[in-house]
Amino acid sequence: MIQLDFVTILYVGGIGLLAIGAAGLVICNNFFRILLALVVAEAGVNLLLVLVGYRGNAAAPILGFGPQGAQMVDPIPQVLVLTAIVIGVGVQALAISVLVRTYRSYGTLDVRELKARFEVDLAAEMGIESTPGSEAPAA
Amino acid sequence: MNAVILPVVLPMLAAFLMQPLAHISAFTARLLGPLVLAISIAMLVQPWFLPDTGPFTVTFAGFVPPLGIVFYVDRLALIFAVAVPLFTLLSWGWSTDTHGDEEKKAREDALMLLLAASATGLSLSGDLFNVFVFYELMAVSSFGLVVQKGTGPARIATLRYLLISAFGSVLALLGIAILYAQTGTLNLAQLGQLAPAALHGPAGLTAFAFMLIGFGVKAELFPLNTWVPEVYATAPARIAGLLAGLISKLAALVVLRLLVVVYQDTSASQLLLLLGTLTLLVGDFSAWRSRDFPRMIGFSSIAQLGLVFIGFSIPGPWGVLAGLTVALHHLLLKTGMFMLATRWSGSLDRLVGCAKSTPVAAGLYLLFALSLVGIPPLPGFWAKLVTLAGLAEQGSAMHLVALGAVLLGSVIKAHYLFRFALKLYSRSDHPALRHGLMDLGTAALIGIALIAATIYVVPIGERLRAVAQQAADRDTYIATVFPDHANTAAPEGPR
Repeated sequence: MIQLDFVTILYVGGIGLLAIGAAGLVICNNFFRILLALVVAEAGVNLLLVLVGYRGNAAAPILGFGPQGAQMVDPIPQVLVLTAIVIGVGVQALAISVLVRTYRSYGTLDVRELKARFEVDLAAEMGIESTPGSEAPAA
Repeated sequence: MNAVILPVVLPMLAAFLMQPLAHISAFTARLLGPLVLAISIAMLVQPWFLPDTGPFTVTFAGFVPPLGIVFYVDRLALIFAVAVPLFTLLSWGWSTDTHGDEEKKAREDALMLLLAASATGLSLSGDLFNVFVFYELMAVSSFGLVVQKGTGPARIATLRYLLISAFGSVLALLGIAILYAQTGTLNLAQLGQLAPAALHGPAGLTAFAFMLIGFGVKAELFPLNTWVPEVYATAPARIAGLLAGLISKLAALVVLRLLVVVYQDTSASQLLLLLGTLTLLVGDFSAWRSRDFPRMIGFSSIAQLGLVFIGFSIPGPWGVLAGLTVALHHLLLKTGMFMLATRWSGSLDRLVGCAKSTPVAAGLYLLFALSLVGIPPLPGFWAKLVTLAGLAEQGSAMHLVALGAVLLGSVIKAHYLFRFALKLYSRSDHPALRHGLMDLGTAALIGIALIAATIYVVPIGERLRAVAQQAADRDTYIATVFPDHANTAAPEGPR
């Protein structure tokens, strides 16, 4: 019988979030949803990172905060997560700005449609003559 | 010794000063970037002439590793650290794309400087935390650089690149989390000490797989490399050259460090060999099918990165030497190739007969193609020979399959590269496509460097062998970071 304590549930939650995010990345056909899936996956990894440094009944890692000589939570994963969250927010903001501009150019965020439009526009830009029946350049 | 920190700090500082400065004096802002990069090159070249050639570390603020963050400087790190500002300078957009728009120019310069700073930091970091931060910074500045053309396809390509890259970062972070859970440290040297006991099991290898795929996004490693051709076809050619030539190699350097310091003598190299072989084959077959110049050389760059990883997967100094020679050769060549792509940005059929109007460019292309295929006595031949000899020496079934793949790849490569060369030299009445002086000059400079490397192949080979010997030695790495490991009681003062 697995003992379902608090930390185990959190671990399962972290891995679950990661799995949902990864599945979303594969399944979704809309760039905005893919971005959301990415956010979910990132949250999962961040949760896992925090859990790695978690100690039960330990104090926050600040000198003089807890009782003298008490066990402290490992601060390094927390620092790493803070950095990862900040980077994540920056990348997501950038992604949304590109997303908005893509939507303005094409009026859709559907992955397959954009892929097709991409090939057509690029071929026009580059002067590749499309011969009927021939497949698109490898991708 | 602290001079190696400034090439990371100065470009970053200059990047943030760029916008305000452009408002005050556009001319000074234009000069700032090249100036800072030139200073960086000078500082990083300096350690080469010091008499003592052993690797050394730089600690920050007096915190000794493993508590503090550390830069590890050996010959391998220095080669790449010098290459960063050098090739950024070679790919510098002097005035071509911006048409006198000072604000846009300042923006691009700032991103280029950020890219240079983070890439230099990445090559020197001896700590996974720092590696992750610099890697992300490098990624973000490259997003800004590839989208700047602002066309519809450029946006779609950047969006896909951004999402794939961010997912790769998530995977890499997961790998780092597993490493930390197993060992409680992120210092590479300490990880190396703990690895035989803590990381050579399934959990450690899973962590390696995640980090390999995660960092492999920038290194164009299969399977997360679908962004490569799209981005290279839509970004300005010199930026594509910078990504294909320089940035991919730095990601490969991170993987090499992990492999040598943490995962020596494990099956991690088998995974690397497998992914490298797949990358090589996918790259060469796709390049063979592509019908435009930027995507053809983009796919060919994927194939070359596959070859780099195949080289790194050979154990010992020989493997480092194989990967390193292929990596440096490709760094030089692809930068030159993409310089030619600035003007040859279209379909292959549009370029028929170009040799007549631009004989120099066509000649340079032929030189690069010959070296890329590996025709002796050009450097590409020696790079490939070292790799093949290493694979043959290993002799296991996997290695022989990889050897076959390398040879097959060379045949395909020869076919598509020379097929295009034939087109260049055939007769047609297409309008002339003349290259800009700057692009052609850079490409010519690289061509001259290639010929010089052909002439001095023996001394260069000896040097690289020494570099590889030093880089492949895990004990040196650990002993350099923890010099007084025997008497840990004596804390080291700030340097």
